[in-house]
Amino acid sequence: MSTSPTTIMDETTPTAQSVEVVMNPASPALDKSSRFNAPTIIDIDNVDFYYGQSKALHGINFPIKEKLVTAFIGPSGCGKSTLLRCLNRMNDLVDGTRIGAGSIKISGVDIYDPSVDVIELRKRVGMVFQKSNPFPKSIYENIVYGLRLQGINQKARLDETVERSLRGAALWDEVRDRLHTSALGLSGGQQQRLCIARAIAVEPEIILMDEPCSALDPIATVKVEELIHQLKQNYTIVIVTHNMQQAGRCSDITAFFYMGRLIEIDTTEKIFTNPSQRQTEDYISGRFG
Amino acid sequence: MAETSQIRRLDQRPLKEAISTRGKSIVPGLNTDEAIKHFFGLNALMSIVVLGLIMFSLFSQSIGLNPLGGFFGQSYQNILVYREAGLEFVDILKSETGEVDSIGQYLADARLREFKKLLAQSQQAGKTENQGLADANAALADFDAYAGKVSGTTSGLDDIVSNLGDTATTTKAMIKIFNDKQAEKALYLRVGKTEEANKVVLQPVDIDASVKPLLDAIPSIKDANTKFASDLNDLLSQPPPALDADMKAQLAGYDGRIRALIAAIPGYEKEIETWNPHAPVPWYAGFLEFLTNTKWLTASSWQDSYGILPLFVGSLLISVVALVIAIPLGVGAGIYINQIATPWEQQLVKPAIEFISAIPSVVLGFFGVAILGESLIQLSRWGILPHFEQRLNILTAGILLAFMAIPTIFTLTEDAINNVPRALKEASYALGANRLQTIWRIILPAALSGVISAVLLGFGRVIGETMVVLLCAGNRIAIPPMSDGLMILFQPVHTMTGIIAQELGEAENGSIEWHALFMVGLVLFLISLGINFLAQRLVQKFKISIG
Repeated sequence: MSTSPTTIMDETTPTAQSVEVVMNPASPALDKSSRFNAPTIIDIDNVDFYYGQSKALHGINFPIKEKLVTAFIGPSGCGKSTLLRCLNRMNDLVDGTRIGAGSIKISGVDIYDPSVDVIELRKRVGMVFQKSNPFPKSIYENIVYGLRLQGINQKARLDETVERSLRGAALWDEVRDRLHTSALGLSGGQQQRLCIARAIAVEPEIILMDEPCSALDPIATVKVEELIHQLKQNYTIVIVTHNMQQAGRCSDITAFFYMGRLIEIDTTEKIFTNPSQRQTEDYISGRFG
Repeated sequence: MAETSQIRRLDQRPLKEAISTRGKSIVPGLNTDEAIKHFFGLNALMSIVVLGLIMFSLFSQSIGLNPLGGFFGQSYQNILVYREAGLEFVDILKSETGEVDSIGQYLADARLREFKKLLAQSQQAGKTENQGLADANAALADFDAYAGKVSGTTSGLDDIVSNLGDTATTTKAMIKIFNDKQAEKALYLRVGKTEEANKVVLQPVDIDASVKPLLDAIPSIKDANTKFASDLNDLLSQPPPALDADMKAQLAGYDGRIRALIAAIPGYEKEIETWNPHAPVPWYAGFLEFLTNTKWLTASSWQDSYGILPLFVGSLLISVVALVIAIPLGVGAGIYINQIATPWEQQLVKPAIEFISAIPSVVLGFFGVAILGESLIQLSRWGILPHFEQRLNILTAGILLAFMAIPTIFTLTEDAINNVPRALKEASYALGANRLQTIWRIILPAALSGVISAVLLGFGRVIGETMVVLLCAGNRIAIPPMSDGLMILFQPVHTMTGIIAQELGEAENGSIEWHALFMVGLVLFLISLGINFLAQRLVQKFKISIG
């Protein structure tokens, strides 16, 4: 029943062939369905990424399509969160990190170009974190934080945003009577949906989710997954997850990473039913990871 | 089954026996766990016992276990003697003549101003300095004569004050001798030496007889007052000879002050007539005196007084100056080092700031006297700071104390900011906040309770600091004139800590001065207690409002 670790190491050493498949984003399955023929919004082009001296990402190269849910899967330490945090330059906050080679273009603009306004980028590329992190303020103030940063203080506008965002995050009915109580009084699942509401309050185009359900119980997880389904009508969503079923349930496209490399990217259906790479199949069927 | 399947335990006793026997212990009768528990418990108890002892000694040496012998009792006695001996009576007259002194000071201020102006004029006219001085004095001769007349109005009263003052101090000395002998006798009786006690001869002071000369002087005081009033009225008819319009404007308040004084004379007279050496002294008189008297006078030939007010105001002003400087610097440095600085800067700045607290305070005081005070005077000479004379003043001491508070505030602020979850910072950046917005809206509010306790602990450090204020505050026991506005910063003051350090070595054990110093210590202790209490309450309040 078990594969020894050494075997895995052997199997995962990328061969020339596997790299070629990986580097070709226009895989047959992606082309077949017109549903996946959406325009590219993020273009990740041969990205190498370093933490100090150690290389965390090796030549990552694939596009992310507009208004689809793209899931990043792979074992711990495979670089999927690192890649996600590159997309809104959150890695800038970590000392000693850098993009070694390649570029990430959003709507055709290289976001690592010195001329890019990082603040503006982060407004347009929102983020939801692994652990819910509401500010120690009221529910209301959490939602309007992003607006206040931009100097928007008209009460009518803020009220409208709070209701729209909370409805958008399917939280309105639960908290409408206690908007001005502390956000830390909410349950874990509510806090995470609050964080999603807070992210959509600034009206981003892309929402990055870094294992948003890993700290939630199954019922809260279902709610967040339903929310992701609704959100994809208006937003491009990139989600990092450890949970195979979750990726299967809520994503359109799945990318599998291993040891800092993209092993395979395809429609979620194809990845989960008939992956072209042996490593992907092993991972999905639970043989390692 | 093979023999190898048998498990070989270290302890081969059967289960039942093993768990039903207590293990050996270092202390007989207790197992090791309990012994350790008691050991640490005793350590904790020790600190509480020591704290209790300190509080006990503070209370017993200030208020006293027998309140009659403590500060308030002795102070009460002092006030009683002050009244019975008639010092109070003479002080009424003194405050009356004191008004004239204050008007004389008012005239002198106007003269000094005019004098300087005249000197400047003569310098412009090219005269020598001596010539200029002579000219100015000559021009002001009329004014000087007038000022002499003003101070001369009290001559009648002054004689009476001088005579009665002697009488009163003599009575006071007699009462004191009586009190001392009474105490001596009581002491003998207490230890059972009746013979010696009987040898002590008590000569009760006849208060009525002693104050008779004072009361007898009332008619002559009335006469002197009448003369005083008419002299003052004469002054009104001839205003002070001002040399020019400017000086006249300077003296605009003169008439009003004279009139006010004339109007006040009947009040003083009434006070003198109704004065009664037997009027009861309220039990809380000593307490009131300690809290409200603006003088701290020891070994005075007239009347000692122990008012904490000038010392308290001195400590407070210095602390406020120190905090106004230290809070922005300490909190700002904490924010910078934690949030903005490069690792290289952190490694340089953090130890540097923390090193300040390693400087012995006496060295810092030496720096304050020798360098800071001088530099401030120099800045004043160059016109960068306003003119002042005292090298050692509130500002000098405040700046140095700020230095001592900065490491405390910096370290605790930095800690508090460091404890703010990284996730909050990331969430803020992810919503498009810049660094300033993140610090101001998220990090500082989240760290606020820590920052407040940092500031309060800094305040505790400042108000309790002794050596620096003793060396650099100027040590003048007086409330600086609040009408000076910000110039108050350049006034010397004395402090609560400074006075204890300065006087406790010389105070006689058990004397009122000794008790008074412990009272000051008690007040310091209560202030620190209050600060700590406040810090905890505030921290809790903010925790609730943000959490």
